[in-house]
Amino acid sequence: MAVALLNGALRGARGGRAFGTAAALCKRAAPLGPMPNEDIDVSNLEKLEKYRVFTRYWRLAEKESRKRHWWRTYWQHTNPPPEPKTDISLPRAKLLGAKEIKERKKILRENRQNAEMERAARLRTVLIPLDEVRAEWEKTSGPFHKQRVAEHCGIFRDLFKGATFTPWVALRVEYSQENEDLVPVYYGNMVTPSEASSPPAVSYEADKGSLWTLLLTNLDGHLRDTDSEYLHWLVTNIPGSDIKSGKEICHYLPPFPAMGTGYHRFVFLLFKQDCPIDFSEDVRPTPCHSLKMRTFSTFDFYRKHEDAMTPAGLAFFQCQWDSSVTWVFHQLLNMREPVFEFVRPPVYHPPQVKFPRQQPLRYLDRYRDTEEPTYGIY
Amino acid sequence: GLHSASTTASLKTETEVDTSENEVVAPDFTNRNPRNLEQLALARKERGWKTTWPKREFWHRLRLERTQHYVEAFVERCNGDVVVSASTREWAIKRHLYSPKGVTACKNLGRVMAQRCLEAGINFVNFKAVIPWEYRCDSIQEFEKAMEEGGVVLREPRRIYK
Repeated sequence: MAVALLNGALRGARGGRAFGTAAALCKRAAPLGPMPNEDIDVSNLEKLEKYRVFTRYWRLAEKESRKRHWWRTYWQHTNPPPEPKTDISLPRAKLLGAKEIKERKKILRENRQNAEMERAARLRTVLIPLDEVRAEWEKTSGPFHKQRVAEHCGIFRDLFKGATFTPWVALRVEYSQENEDLVPVYYGNMVTPSEASSPPAVSYEADKGSLWTLLLTNLDGHLRDTDSEYLHWLVTNIPGSDIKSGKEICHYLPPFPAMGTGYHRFVFLLFKQDCPIDFSEDVRPTPCHSLKMRTFSTFDFYRKHEDAMTPAGLAFFQCQWDSSVTWVFHQLLNMREPVFEFVRPPVYHPPQVKFPRQQPLRYLDRYRDTEEPTYGIY
Repeated sequence: GLHSASTTASLKTETEVDTSENEVVAPDFTNRNPRNLEQLALARKERGWKTTWPKREFWHRLRLERTQHYVEAFVERCNGDVVVSASTREWAIKRHLYSPKGVTACKNLGRVMAQRCLEAGINFVNFKAVIPWEYRCDSIQEFEKAMEEGGVVLREPRRIYK
């Protein structure tokens, strides 16, 4: 009987207004955290501090938007929380002591008392020496910046499956050209395959008696398997910074990014060895032009020798197809050159509805099996 | 994804045992490089956010933050991750400057930032996240001029749709 009365009330029987009970279904409860702007007392607007500039409000708003919230946000949806990463770098050099901080403060105080510097700053003629700034940067915050850029290019994710390292040793790689030019390789440069056709000049600071390993891999170029890389150059047991006296396990092969595949990453990795390591399992034959022999996985290679070596230096460049790549495919690798074409992912259409609301006539064209669209622009 | 379209003929006829297996190539090629699509101008830019400011239609954005004590410049992606940064708080830059704030600091920061961006392979940056009436001031104009002279283009290319 109660059910009949309820149904009647819902329908609007006996002259009463019909009502829905959907609102009653969702329970109203207290919020699970503090509401935004709850801490501002809006009862007395006159007494509130008013910023007379837009910039101060905007800076507050930017800071607020970067905070974590207790409700679900778009940022949380697009940036899942990162897993903790293992750090495989060399032990960090000693942090700044009180003496160094005192020296720095002294230099800054001298700067501020210098009248010439003050005049140059006032007349806006100061131009700081970029080379000295770069040299100092390589010693202080360079490794962290390089690690950050490498993280964004997905190098740690693809090479070491997530484990990161800070490249404490500054690796300087330069390709020399025929006309005496030098093309340097920094972190993320653009270098063409014709510029990189001969082995580069590699230099870094090394103590006497220390042993190093240099490795050049192509992370993206594998023509058969997406997850493996191609080994381009491997020199091991390098005493100090003299590459020529190290044992060349795999001779240098110029980069060959296939046409249409876009930009490939080529990474120079410098490992510091604790003791001379035997790489006899990884030795490739001297003219090694077989892609199967060159297929390589840095993760497995490092896993095999991780007790004796640690990554110390990093330099990488981006490389695109060039006419010298054709020469490499035909003469060195003795194969036909593969040419690829970019295929766009298919356009997404939501599942078809029998009575689409406010859709044009070409709605039917989107779900037709045959190719001819018959409604044109309607 | 990429699809094999055509292959060119090779000149050598003799086959070596070494390179006989090189010919086998998978028809589909996937490039794992996260920077590949944006360097080819094929990646998506976040086109929503049109009712808010600043918009997020970029691959890399240059943001200049000027506080009372120092000046900082960041190049970031639309999800907020910083790629390249330079600040007058760093010892390498602070030691050569008389004051870490002001027009000279902005100008020299621009020169250092341009060098670092080019080294990281970032040639096109979006510089729209500046308040319009502040854009006219000397320090931001000097910073922009220093970035342009350094070789960074402050306009991102349009995405290729067809």
